[in-house]
Amino acid sequence: MSCGNPTDAEAVMQRRPKHDKTKICVRCKVARGNLVIRHAVYCKDCFFPLVTHRFRRALEPSVNSKPDGPRRTALKPSGNLLLGYSGGLGSAVLLDLVHRCYIAFDRSTMQTDGGRDHPRHERVWKKVTVCYVEVCDAFPGMKDRSAEIAEIVARYEDFEFISLRIQDAFNRTWWEKVGGIPISSYLGVSLAKEDLVLTSHSSPSTPLESLHTYLSSLPTPTAVSSSIQTLTRLLLLHTALQTASSHLLLGTSLTSLAISLISGISQGAGFNVREEIQEEWAPDGTEENSARPRGKRRVRIVRPLRDVGAKECAAWLWWRGLSVVGLDRRHASGASLGIGELTKDFITGLEKDYPSTVSTIVRTCGKLAPKGDVAGLCVLCERPAQAGVQLWKARTAIREPVFQDTPDRGEPDAPLNSPPSLAPHLCYACHATLTSRRGTSRVEQPSVPLPVWTSVSPILEMEYARGKGTALPPPGMARMAEQEMKAVVQEFLLDDE
Amino acid sequence: MKTLNDRYHYGLELFLLSIDEGITGYRDDSLETVKRNQRQYDIPLKILSYDELYGWTMDAIVAQVGKKNNCTFCGVFRRQALDRGAAILNVDHIVTGHNADDIAETVLMNIMRGDIARLGRCTSICTQGEDTIKRSKPFKYAYEKEIVMYAYFKKLDYFSTECIYSPDAYRGHARAFLKDLEAARPSAIIDIIHSGEAFEVKEDIKATQKAQQVCKRCGYMSSNELCKACTLLEGLERGMANAAITDRARKKLDADGPVPDNLRTIPFFYMPPGLRSSSYIPVEAPP
Repeated sequence: MSCGNPTDAEAVMQRRPKHDKTKICVRCKVARGNLVIRHAVYCKDCFFPLVTHRFRRALEPSVNSKPDGPRRTALKPSGNLLLGYSGGLGSAVLLDLVHRCYIAFDRSTMQTDGGRDHPRHERVWKKVTVCYVEVCDAFPGMKDRSAEIAEIVARYEDFEFISLRIQDAFNRTWWEKVGGIPISSYLGVSLAKEDLVLTSHSSPSTPLESLHTYLSSLPTPTAVSSSIQTLTRLLLLHTALQTASSHLLLGTSLTSLAISLISGISQGAGFNVREEIQEEWAPDGTEENSARPRGKRRVRIVRPLRDVGAKECAAWLWWRGLSVVGLDRRHASGASLGIGELTKDFITGLEKDYPSTVSTIVRTCGKLAPKGDVAGLCVLCERPAQAGVQLWKARTAIREPVFQDTPDRGEPDAPLNSPPSLAPHLCYACHATLTSRRGTSRVEQPSVPLPVWTSVSPILEMEYARGKGTALPPPGMARMAEQEMKAVVQEFLLDDE
Repeated sequence: MKTLNDRYHYGLELFLLSIDEGITGYRDDSLETVKRNQRQYDIPLKILSYDELYGWTMDAIVAQVGKKNNCTFCGVFRRQALDRGAAILNVDHIVTGHNADDIAETVLMNIMRGDIARLGRCTSICTQGEDTIKRSKPFKYAYEKEIVMYAYFKKLDYFSTECIYSPDAYRGHARAFLKDLEAARPSAIIDIIHSGEAFEVKEDIKATQKAQQVCKRCGYMSSNELCKACTLLEGLERGMANAAITDRARKKLDADGPVPDNLRTIPFFYMPPGLRSSSYIPVEAPP
């Protein structure tokens, strides 16, 4: 056969039946079903309460400062609410659900018991802000959608709207506007070697130029995608602080969560599996000079659609007559696929034949905890970094020795005369993002600008101040000449024949 | 191992152990290579076949179950066969050639099928259970490519063919995915292993896991009354091969009546004397 399809029927997996037993809705047991969700059939009338219930069940136990089990008491968050909106499937459903449940108080989303003055009819968050980060400037040829997004958000009453651009991550004006510590000097980094030597980036270009320099210096398409995700996440988090929000809600569906978990694990972020599901974030400890209000410096990131699959989100939008603005980035950029996009293709493909896999991935990852000591926050992604990352790398691969580790990171003492290095202050995944290559060499920039929050990181300022001396290896670890190295490994070398 | 043992006088008594799954056109060819290796390295060789241990070859199993779930049978049977072969040889340590690609694939597979118990230990270089023989994977951090290059340049006599029954859909998908990841970023394999080492099963989840016990029929370690191999074998013998794979099939098997007296079973497993350890010991990778 020219098409290569196997002729042996047994060689191909048999398609599993779409539903298990009956075509009648499993909830009301009366109406004929309209949608199959993981082998169970639901009618349209039962579908909306089902999704609303899953949404509330995932969100409400996390609303009060002290997270607890299924809620029985009033919801009293310690701050306002920020919604991250990308215009995509999940965030469109999120916007709609938050508005119906907590702004419009749609009766169909509530339990029927209790009177008109029941506490659940009180407003939970005083102020709800929607934040959109426009990423079109990162990809040539991508359409700017901020106007469309603003129009969609304006359809919902009582939502405030903030539109950011991805280059704001390099924008001093934005940083100071959100209450960040004033920047005295900019830091850059050289991506030429794995120790990532810190440089002074004395003449900052425009934020857009800095973004382009940063992205074009990254070694792989995977690094570009994951960097944009990290920058977007940090822009949202700092905006949450600015708006005095105690909660940041993201429209990550069950499917998207499974994708980001597998993608993160494939990029070495196993230590942060817990944060990928639910995260409690506070900016790096010492913000004494910050203009932000004290006591409101913690943001809880919640993904209330984590039990709702992409298929259910699509059905919700379709039946509610809502639209999606987001566009797959790869079509706009035309770039080769990175790990994120490959994982997305893999998981969505797998979900068709094995609908339970996505839920299994999320449930399995929910049973995991980070292993080992935390060595502070990664200065780039501001998530907990595992201690001893650079030592692990040195032990498991043939690579250049990294001398600049500090005791805080669970590494050997840094010598006073080694160059200032970014590597010991990064988590494994961020270090891999900046250093892991695919063979093809890129034009090396002597100094790549770093996002604004890294320039005010006290630990990096100390590192930079410490390492201004001459680069020399520590005592006992003097660099060897090539012939010396060859002599040491002589007996392991293969014959030239 | 042979070179290092000779060069550094480790004083190890080495044996070759090979499992014959009974796959015509695949394992029979590779066993010829193994026999040549025995002569080349002058190490005693033990070949243990599924046929002599379980009374079934993989060819016969595939003839009954098809190509859908056959990797489940092969994987479970091989794990036991290695321990049983090692017990016959009276050795205290099994070293396997699993490489970094295999480990990364296992991490992903264990997440996707929700196998928390294996996920917690699959990245350990050495593992040892109370009733199993110590196992090591010294190539844990060596990429498959590196191993192939080493064997090629050292002109080693090795066999390299995919199993003819390997297109098991699920694992096949995971393997293809891993290759795509490696092409996108070669460090993906070691990054996945690092991830696997950077998390552990939560304590409260560990507390709910079944305690390890001994199979009442064959004496091998098990988390249930019957070990997986005995359940699979019973299903094969009674013509209900899916009994250990789905709950529904297991109930059907139970409803079909008690175990027949003349059912063929796996020989009882005895740990070699002096090898019992006090508890499960995962020996950690470098911190």
